[in-house]
Amino acid sequence: MASDLPVGISAPPLPAPFKHLPAEPVTRIRPPSFWETVDLAELWAHREVLYFLVWRDLKVRYKQTIIGAAWVVLQPIVITVIFTIFLGKLIKVPSDGVPYPIFAYTALLVWTFLSNAILSSSYSIVTNAQIITRVYFPRLLIPAAAVAVRLVDLIIGSLLLLALMIYYHVPLTWNILMLPLFVLQISALALAVGIWGAALNVRYRDVGTVLPIVLQVWMFVSPIVYSSSIVPARSRLLYSLNPLAGIISGFRASLFNLSFDWSSIIISAVITLPLLVLSIDVFRRMEASFADEV
Amino acid sequence: MNPIIKAENLGKKYQLGPTETVRPTLREVFKNSVKSRVKQISGRKRSRRPSVWAINKISFEVQAGEVLGIIGPNGAGKSTLLRILARITRPTTGRADLYGRTGSLLGVGTGFHPDLTGRENIYLNGAILGMRRSEITQKFDEIVAFAQIDNFLDTPAKRYSSGMYLRLAFAIAAHLDPDILLLDEVLTVADAPFQKKCLRKIKDANHEGTTVLFVSHNLTSVQELCSRALCIQSGELRDEGKPETVIANYLKDVSEMGP
Repeated sequence: MASDLPVGISAPPLPAPFKHLPAEPVTRIRPPSFWETVDLAELWAHREVLYFLVWRDLKVRYKQTIIGAAWVVLQPIVITVIFTIFLGKLIKVPSDGVPYPIFAYTALLVWTFLSNAILSSSYSIVTNAQIITRVYFPRLLIPAAAVAVRLVDLIIGSLLLLALMIYYHVPLTWNILMLPLFVLQISALALAVGIWGAALNVRYRDVGTVLPIVLQVWMFVSPIVYSSSIVPARSRLLYSLNPLAGIISGFRASLFNLSFDWSSIIISAVITLPLLVLSIDVFRRMEASFADEV
Repeated sequence: MNPIIKAENLGKKYQLGPTETVRPTLREVFKNSVKSRVKQISGRKRSRRPSVWAINKISFEVQAGEVLGIIGPNGAGKSTLLRILARITRPTTGRADLYGRTGSLLGVGTGFHPDLTGRENIYLNGAILGMRRSEITQKFDEIVAFAQIDNFLDTPAKRYSSGMYLRLAFAIAAHLDPDILLLDEVLTVADAPFQKKCLRKIKDANHEGTTVLFVSHNLTSVQELCSRALCIQSGELRDEGKPETVIANYLKDVSEMGP
């Protein structure tokens, strides 16, 4: 049997069976150039990597923690309880006629998704350094996976919201059909900021330190524990420049049968989409040097 | 016949200097940009950070079905070359075209997660290395048999011995079935029997048509395995030809540098 021969004197390399080479290279390796764009076909071809990165993070979380999924809702629940006591009961912040706990929980759920998605995607390139320095796949999938993991959390947290709505007798209306649009919009916003943060954090680790502070401020300038209706009409336009403002009130309008504030929703989309394109472009420019810098 | 890998004039420049060891903070970046602006205004010459070419003007071709060994001293640029071909880092100059699916094993257990079981890690690692899920399922039993970890499939990888870890990692990579396989010095930590098994697997893959690029300090395995060799020294392509000749020339160079 050939495999019993010592390796050194095994048969000389035979000509490999004829393989038909493609006419065009499968991979072209070139120096980074200013004119490159994101290769969408390549992203699509690697979609299973995205799936497995999400799968990994979810699996690991449920192995490492005892109560698993409960952690996901615990954070918004605790904050909801605190704000319900102080803002809802003591200060009596107006909540557009909706019971304050679900009014706040809805926004806190969305906010928890956004802030966790931004934080984990910003750290994602650095925490996956070992993979980045050893194997190639489109790096964009890494922060995207971090956002997708948080999207799963958002869905789990929504189940509790549904229970709360039944408890408080808040009926679903046709407005709910708009909900997917806002999920899409908040995901785009999370991706835009998270992808940008991920690229910058490779070079400047300060970003990871500054982000929690920025997020803290962002939470309070957004209509999360209060309603955007308390903002005076003359400042409304300025207030809507925060892309989160339109999205949060959109979530509330679709769930609680309130009227949609279209101008702030459109302003939000007009800011979010170019921001996403821009941040993907920043990421693409910086990713060429990730493996050298991370 | 057309080559499966065509590299022309590849070069990779790295910046040296303090920023290589300590990352600049935003404050330093700001300070430095102000400083250099001041220098520009005051007419003083801007200080240039020193740089080094890890590899420089490397051109070569590989025919389909070859096993190409790449040898050279530490720091010569062998790994940089492989990292460029594996698309982990981009070249500063030159170009390379690869006419086939590339699989690379540049480190052991890339993407393994210590809390996941062997079974889970096979899927995770396989996907990261470029296998489809259906492919992994199809080759699953083969991978497990090759790695000899049948009894530990559902044990978290953190409880594996380093040998088991390595065997599993190599087993997955060995079943990638790429057209081009890039291997960097990964076998040196394995024990002799497993090393032999791996070399045999590489040979088998080659017989089935895989082109292999193999970076190693182990000149014996280069000689055993390779049909041709390159020698890289100080970032430049020094020698190219039959493994025996390239190795002999390299050893002569080394002994001339001598004590």
